[in-house]
Amino acid sequence: MKKIPLFLSFLFLSSFSNAAKPTAKGAPNLPPLSGFTAADMPGDAGGTALLRWNSPGEAAEGALVEVHASSAAGAGWVKLAEFPAAAKLEKDMDLPFWAWRPSPGRHAAAVDTSSAFGRPAGEQELEFKLRLVKGSASVETEPARAVINGNWFNLSRLNNLILMLTIIIVFFWTVSHAKRKGLFIRRIAGLDAIDEAIGRATEMGRPIFYSTGIGPMSLVPTIASTSILGEVARKVAQYDTSLKVPHFDPIVMTVCKEVVKQSYLEMERPDSYRDDTNFFVSQDQFSYAASVDAMIHREKPAACFFIGHFMAESLLLAEVGATTGAIQIAGTEQESQLPFFFTSCDYTLIGEELYAAGAYLSKEPMLTSTLKVQDFGKAFVMLAVAAGAILIAAGAMFELDALSKVVTQLFKAY
Amino acid sequence: MEFLANLWNSFAGLFTVTPGWMTFGGWVAAGLTICLFSFLYKDNPFFKVAEHLYLGVGMGWLFQVYLFQTWKPKVYAPLMEGQFSVLIPTLLGLSLVTQFFPRISWISRYGFTFIMGYGSGLVIPMEISTNFLRQIGGSISPFIGATGPWDLFNGALVAFGFICVLFYFFFSVEHKGAVKKASNIGIYFLMLYFGAAFGNTVMGRFSLLYGRFDDLYKYSDASYFYATHVVLGLLVAYFVLDKLVLSKKNGGQEPAH
Repeated sequence: MKKIPLFLSFLFLSSFSNAAKPTAKGAPNLPPLSGFTAADMPGDAGGTALLRWNSPGEAAEGALVEVHASSAAGAGWVKLAEFPAAAKLEKDMDLPFWAWRPSPGRHAAAVDTSSAFGRPAGEQELEFKLRLVKGSASVETEPARAVINGNWFNLSRLNNLILMLTIIIVFFWTVSHAKRKGLFIRRIAGLDAIDEAIGRATEMGRPIFYSTGIGPMSLVPTIASTSILGEVARKVAQYDTSLKVPHFDPIVMTVCKEVVKQSYLEMERPDSYRDDTNFFVSQDQFSYAASVDAMIHREKPAACFFIGHFMAESLLLAEVGATTGAIQIAGTEQESQLPFFFTSCDYTLIGEELYAAGAYLSKEPMLTSTLKVQDFGKAFVMLAVAAGAILIAAGAMFELDALSKVVTQLFKAY
Repeated sequence: MEFLANLWNSFAGLFTVTPGWMTFGGWVAAGLTICLFSFLYKDNPFFKVAEHLYLGVGMGWLFQVYLFQTWKPKVYAPLMEGQFSVLIPTLLGLSLVTQFFPRISWISRYGFTFIMGYGSGLVIPMEISTNFLRQIGGSISPFIGATGPWDLFNGALVAFGFICVLFYFFFSVEHKGAVKKASNIGIYFLMLYFGAAFGNTVMGRFSLLYGRFDDLYKYSDASYFYATHVVLGLLVAYFVLDKLVLSKKNGGQEPAH
């Protein structure tokens, strides 16, 4: 009688186990794949399944593992992936230590299901099975069912979230500090020259050309450029100079229209504002460049501003501006285009200087505090690089693999 | 939509590629290339024609791209299938058009607000990922698996250069003393990079120029009726004539712009 509960318990446990029930074909010397489980891949956008199984051991050396999947409707099996049996250990999974705890002797694979079964908006129920193949011999696991769906939170990106929250806290602290005590900003030559350029245009009675580049409104350099345009427009309104802003993107144009209009209103010169200051040219990169080049060549502006996101058209624009003798101020975050601006413009804002421009020109506490936050960010990056380099070098020197792995994963963008 | 597609197919059928059309295409390509290159000498009516044609063709091309690759598959097709949720982004997009009507232009602010909010929400986490984590990870990666002193030196040089460059971009600290020295070293690292980037990009541009010259050489062939030679000759003739007429009119001076 004592054996009956034991027997029932065994039956109960075995019914929940997805352990492989091998169905051998050909030579029967392949070991079965045990402990096979299928689940939704945590922290993804959907369309990926996480399969785990026990290591088949050395007996499966040279064998391949095939992943097969079938939709719940039972429309047949589709081969999704194939890899050597010794590969895909749990410890090799590209996930950080806070999101993934590998078990020794276990294999795991993140298998893309979207290519074969699509990625529906809701849940998707699929069946999976593994087949161990070596030559003509093969052994299969019992199918395992998994519900695939997208997840709201990606635990791998926890470092990203913590960093963002830290930046937000530092930002609010800095804003309050800036309002109370003010902040120092070092001199930026390219921005000091804006007054000179506008003054020159006023004296010569020639227009000022301002290009925001070819970036959409979602790009940070474009946002920075609209901020500088606002300051330029304030001075232009003050001196009653002519400003022309040819645009590549209609959305950027509309935002710039509002920015320029606001600047004229702030300077109490709404009568001088012209709606055609901002105008659309083309959304084709080189058509835009050709057209703006021709305008610059014909109108001979006294000053040209090329501030924003620029690609191959940078030299085409700046070179023509230089031939007309205009004073030129450029700024972009595109490091591949900066050398061209250096060679053909009088002043160039390099990357971060462009982002600092809004704060530098307006001196508003809110904006200057963003500069301080950026500097804190840079200090953090410098410290992290120095400390990370030392720790990883120490890890390599003293063979502390775990230390190197932790440091690498802490500063990895997943 | 189907009617438009059929109309377009009928129209496109008129231009079935024949040897005659290929020759014509060669003349157009050689002509427009030389007309655009003529700007290197000075502004002229031929350049203006090519410029405006390029602008128009560019916009026309983009219009059909938006029509057939955005509007049709993302608005028209889902609506035909009864997916009315696409009306929300469509209406937000259409609200931008109200800019043309001053009395209701305020409606466009809803669309712009959404674009700005969506853009910021998308960009901020991405910036943290790329500007912080990837930069740090990339700078310390040479130390991973470093086996010898040269590997360590290479990693240390990259990290040192990176830190010095960051010193240059400190805005809320006055650049004097140690900060100034580090910042100056950072400028050297920046210039080294910019020099390499300049050379690399110039090489790329030259390959584009060779491509144009190769085409011009191709169209100078007898099978294209010497298109390149003829267009170039006509343009040179125009400039000579223009110069002679200008000399007579203005005593050799070009008119002031």
